[in-house]
Formats: sequence, C-alpha cells, structure tokens
Amino acid sequence: MLALDLLVNGLIYGCFYALMAVGLAMIFGVLKIVNFAHGEFFMIGAYTYVLIALKLGISPWLALPCAALAGGLLGWVVERLLMRPLYQGYGSWSLMKDEYAVVVTFGLSLLLVNLVDKIVGPYSFRGPPLIDVTRFALGPIMLTGQKAIAAVVSVLLMIGLAMFIKRSVWGKQIQAVAQNRLGASLAGIDATRTTSLIFVISGLLAALSGALLAPLVNPSPDIGAFPAVKSYVIVVLGGMGSLWGAMIAALILGVSEAFFSVYISYDYRDAFGLIILVLVLLFRPQGLFGEKGRQV
Amino acid sequence: MMSRCLRYLTGLMGFAFVLSPASAADPILIGVSLTQSPPGSVVQGMQVKDGMEILKDMVNAKGGVLGRPIKLLYEDNQGIPEKGRAATEKLITSDKVVALAGGHQSSVCLAEIEVAHRYKVPYVNTNCWTDDVRKRGYPEVFNTSPYNTLVSSVMATTLATMKVKRVVAFAENTDYGIGQAKLTGELLKAQAPQIEYKYETLDRSSKDFTAAVLPLRANPPDVIVLSMLPPAAYLAVNQIYEQGVAPSAKTILYDGSGLADYPDFWQNVKEGGKYMLSFALYHPQMKQTNTALDIAAEYQKRSGREVNRLVLQAADSLELVIQGIKAANSTEPDKLIKAMQTMKFESIRGISNFSTKPGYSFQQWLEIPYVNYELTAEKQPIGQTILIQAPGQKFDPSKIVRPSK
Repeated sequence: MLALDLLVNGLIYGCFYALMAVGLAMIFGVLKIVNFAHGEFFMIGAYTYVLIALKLGISPWLALPCAALAGGLLGWVVERLLMRPLYQGYGSWSLMKDEYAVVVTFGLSLLLVNLVDKIVGPYSFRGPPLIDVTRFALGPIMLTGQKAIAAVVSVLLMIGLAMFIKRSVWGKQIQAVAQNRLGASLAGIDATRTTSLIFVISGLLAALSGALLAPLVNPSPDIGAFPAVKSYVIVVLGGMGSLWGAMIAALILGVSEAFFSVYISYDYRDAFGLIILVLVLLFRPQGLFGEKGRQV
Repeated sequence: MMSRCLRYLTGLMGFAFVLSPASAADPILIGVSLTQSPPGSVVQGMQVKDGMEILKDMVNAKGGVLGRPIKLLYEDNQGIPEKGRAATEKLITSDKVVALAGGHQSSVCLAEIEVAHRYKVPYVNTNCWTDDVRKRGYPEVFNTSPYNTLVSSVMATTLATMKVKRVVAFAENTDYGIGQAKLTGELLKAQAPQIEYKYETLDRSSKDFTAAVLPLRANPPDVIVLSMLPPAAYLAVNQIYEQGVAPSAKTILYDGSGLADYPDFWQNVKEGGKYMLSFALYHPQMKQTNTALDIAAEYQKRSGREVNRLVLQAADSLELVIQGIKAANSTEPDKLIKAMQTMKFESIRGISNFSTKPGYSFQQWLEIPYVNYELTAEKQPIGQTILIQAPGQKFDPSKIVRPSK
C-alpha cells in the first residue's frame, strides 16, 4: 500500500515538475542557453496568484489566468530587452553567448528575488485553493483537493502543449527554428518572433505551475530555487532541449525521488536529483532522449 | 608670520581633534548582523530589527547612554555563515562598533563568534539556540537567547509526563534542528527509557515532505515532534495534517520552536494548526516588566501585531549592551566585557543571572521562562490558547484537547 501511495504522489509531483521544466527545455532547444531566471518566472506566477486572490479577493479561478498572463508578459519583456542581443545584429556577442546568458539571467534572477522581497515583504503566503477540500481519500491514497486539481490541470496543459507544438503552424515554426535557425529564416519563418513566442510560452507555463502550487508550497521570495534546480536536472536527464524527454524525465524524477526517500534516505532526497544529474553528464551527456551533438 | 601662526594653529586643532575622545554628541555604534534578504530567515531578521529599533528609540528619547545616542549599524548576512563572518569583520574593523548583537541563526552565530573572539569584541547572542555557541567558552560571547538544552529537557519531560509509547521527531537539517532532536532523544532515554523515540532529518529547503510522512500513516506514533523553523515547518504541519496523521485522536503534534509566535503562522497553516501542542517562550500570562509592556505597546503601534518572544529577546540583547556600557562607564570592548561579566542587572524579561559554568550554560541566562500551550481554533491569538503548562507550573496532560478522529 505504501508503494502505491509513493507511486501516485511521485507521479503527481512529476506532473508539477514537467510543467516547470518544459519551458526551460524549449528555450534551450531554440537558443542553446540556460535561463537561470526560470525559477523566478515560477515565483512571479505564484505571487501574482496569491496577491490577486488574497489581497483583491478575486476568485482563484480568475487569478490563475492572470498569473499565466503575468508570466507570459515577463517572458516577452525578458526576450525583448535581454535576449535579443544574443541573436540579432550583435555578431561578436554571439561568440560569447553562453557567458552573456549566464550573467544576464543570473542577474535577473537576483533582481527579481530582491524586488519581491522589498516590495511584497519576506513573509510566505499560502495561496487559496482552487477547491476547498482539505483532504479526501481516493481508495488507500490520501489527497488534497488542490493537489488533485493541480495534477489534472498540469496533465491537460502538457497534452495541450504537445498538440500545439505538433499540429499548429506556430508549433511547426518553433520546431523549425529549433532545428536550424538560419534554415528556418531562409524558408520565410520569422525566427525573432518565434523566439519571442517561446519565451512567452516558457514564462506562461512556469507562472502557471507557480500559481497551481501556491496553495501547496507557501511561496516566499526565494521559492524559485526549488523549481529551478528540479528543472535543470530534468532538462539534462531528458536530453537538453527535448520537450518529450523533459516530460518523461519529470515523471521519472518525481517517482524515483519518492521511493528513494523512503527506502534509501530521506536526508538526501533533493541530493538524489543532483546525483542523477552528475551520472547522466558522466555516462550519457546527451540525456535519455537527446541526440549526440556533432560538429562539422 | 601671521599666516604661519594660523597654519600652526590649524594644525594643532586638527591634531587635537584626531586625538580627542569621542565627543558627547558622537553616537555609540553597535553592530547588528542579521538576515534581511533570502535565503536566510528574513522573518526572524525583521523581528530582531523591530525589537532593537524600539528599544534604541526609547533609550535615545531619554538622552541616550553616557550622554551619547545609540546608533545601530545593520549588515545583511542573508543567513549564510560566510556572509555573517564578513559582516562581523566589517562592523568591527571598518565601522569600529563597540559591541555586536542580533545573531538569530545558529550556523551564522557559530561563524560570527569566531571573529568577535579574535578581535575581543563583546557579542550578544539574541536567538541562536545551538549549545555549541556556549560550549566554545568564549568570554566575549553572552547568551540571552534560549538554548537547545533547555528546550530539549522541557520537551523530554513533557513527553515522559504524557506517558506515551512511541515518538517520531522531524528535525530540519541545521545545527538547531539536529541538535534539538538528538538531545531530546538522549534526555528522554534518561527520563523514560520505555518510550521508543526516533528522529528523521528533513531538508529545510525542500517543499514536499509527503514521502517522510506516508510511512507513518499505517502505524501512527503517539506524538510527532517538530524541531523545524518556518517556512519549512509550515509545510511540514500542512502535509502531516493532509495525510491524516496528526493532529488526530491518536497522534499529538508537538512543536518545539514556538511556531504560532511567528506573525505569518496562520496565513500559512490553517486547519493543520488546530490542536497543535506548542512549546513557547512567550505568553501574555508570563510576568512582564514595565519595559516589556512598553515595548509590546510600541510594537503593536508600529506593526499592528501582538508582540512576540523574538522582539523581546532582541530588545533584551541590546539592553544588556546598554547596561554594560553604563556599568563600565566606557565603550572600550575589554572594559565592557568585564562589566557584563560582573554587573548586576535586570533584563526586560526579568532574568538577571548569567551562569559561568562551562558547557551549554557558559555565559547563558538559564532561567528563561517558557510555557506549553495548545491551539484549539484556527487564527487563535496566543492569549486565548489553552495553557497546558502555565509559567512556573507543571505540565498537565489532562488539559490536552484532542480532535474527534
């Protein structure tokens, strides 16, 4: 029975991890950079949800899209102001894009954490749940209403994103730019606009995941560190830039963390993800579903 | 000739200015290293700052100390030991503070006292519970803070009095958490060896403790002890409740850090806080000095909140430095240390004696008042909780109210 409990809880957390990580994977897939401020997109979503629902007294169901909007908007602004130099008109900059991306996104992360700390304050807030069911038994498994709803919404969002990428024109443009930016441009695709769209989607998903988890993790200004670390592990495990890889890796991480912490050691539960990260980098650097890079 | 005279005169005046002792208007500088930004506990840092600011303003309004105003110089250590060490070094060597106070996170205190000891500057520990701060035996370090041995021995006695059979403790992975859980186990073994006790360490940066709680569902213990601080403690309380483990008719949830005292407790913990038993260092029914009442009123005015133990502890640690300066009639660190070791004084919380016995009690206020209370309703103010152990009284388990299931 304990094993079933652990499996279900692990899968639920895996769904949350997936929602956090796919945006990071998409950005890496297209720009080949790591966004170190990704966790702060999550934090902005969580705070937007909590403040709108708690302070303005608006229904949590309306606060949810507002949080997504805030994350999408932040993604768009970050791309316009900070990311464009990477690929537009700054020939020499692109040579050192890794360093630029690390410095600028890391700086942005610190800025956002400290801004929220100063403006909203250091106290943590528990967001109001989407449905007011504190706990219920699903057979032998004990769940909260919020956990169940958040898991269902996460799965639906993942399915929606997969269909969007596979079926829609914009999704196909994203795939094309990820495969070959120059080639996509020659074929008439606006790569700049597509990159903007990726940042909007990435910000939106991270913020939505922050909003969905706000009643479960009590956001405080430094809440972004937890999803960021998980997301990096997932992106490396799944294969840098692989969307499907990230989704599957998130579920693997969620379930294996749950079992590891009970049957091996709870003390090192979060270190477990980092052990996976090191092992993957040592023995399969392309990740579980990534392709080996080639240089011509 | 005239201009040469003027030059000499100006030179002499400048020389005299450099050599002169601090003038009457010069403020007395006291250094405060605390957490003002993440990842450390900013909530604690804010309360420490509030308590010190209130007392400083009250003292300065009455003319200061030795005719000089008090000025507090703050440094943000972010709850990181290395930053605390650097902040202390800066406050002592660059700002020339006469004493340090305000330390509120054990791992940071342990780093900072090394610097204070090297420069022989008095360091007043406001809220670092780990016994190791005292065990180092540094004469510069004075402890007005609660200490793990006190809390653990009270908790062990409480558990023994409740006559329970099995206890599981969740401790955060810090000097404070692990220290308290280990010590409680040792003291409990000495008092009631028949009680089965074990503790589990939880990572305080983690957001999901469900996997640690799930194994308890099949075989719930009689008591779950929490040796954790916010915000991780809030998540633990919620997740223990959501899994239906505690508080329940079978299992008592016993908090060892006075969680309900924190201003953001009820906004983070809702149903899970109801029926929680709590060890605490402040309750309105405790004996209060007039200064404590004035500070409580001023805190209420400034923040709109009920005063709590950390605000009073912070004020107390500054009060110790102030009384030390008065007793020494000097701000020289060595004279100040000597005065603080030997003077008679009255603290804001009514405690007066430092122990000089080596070990956990070295330069520690031993008789820190405490209570055990139970929260019986959501958003319950501390004054309305049920006192299971009133100040100076014995723990009375018959007063514990349990939920129906």
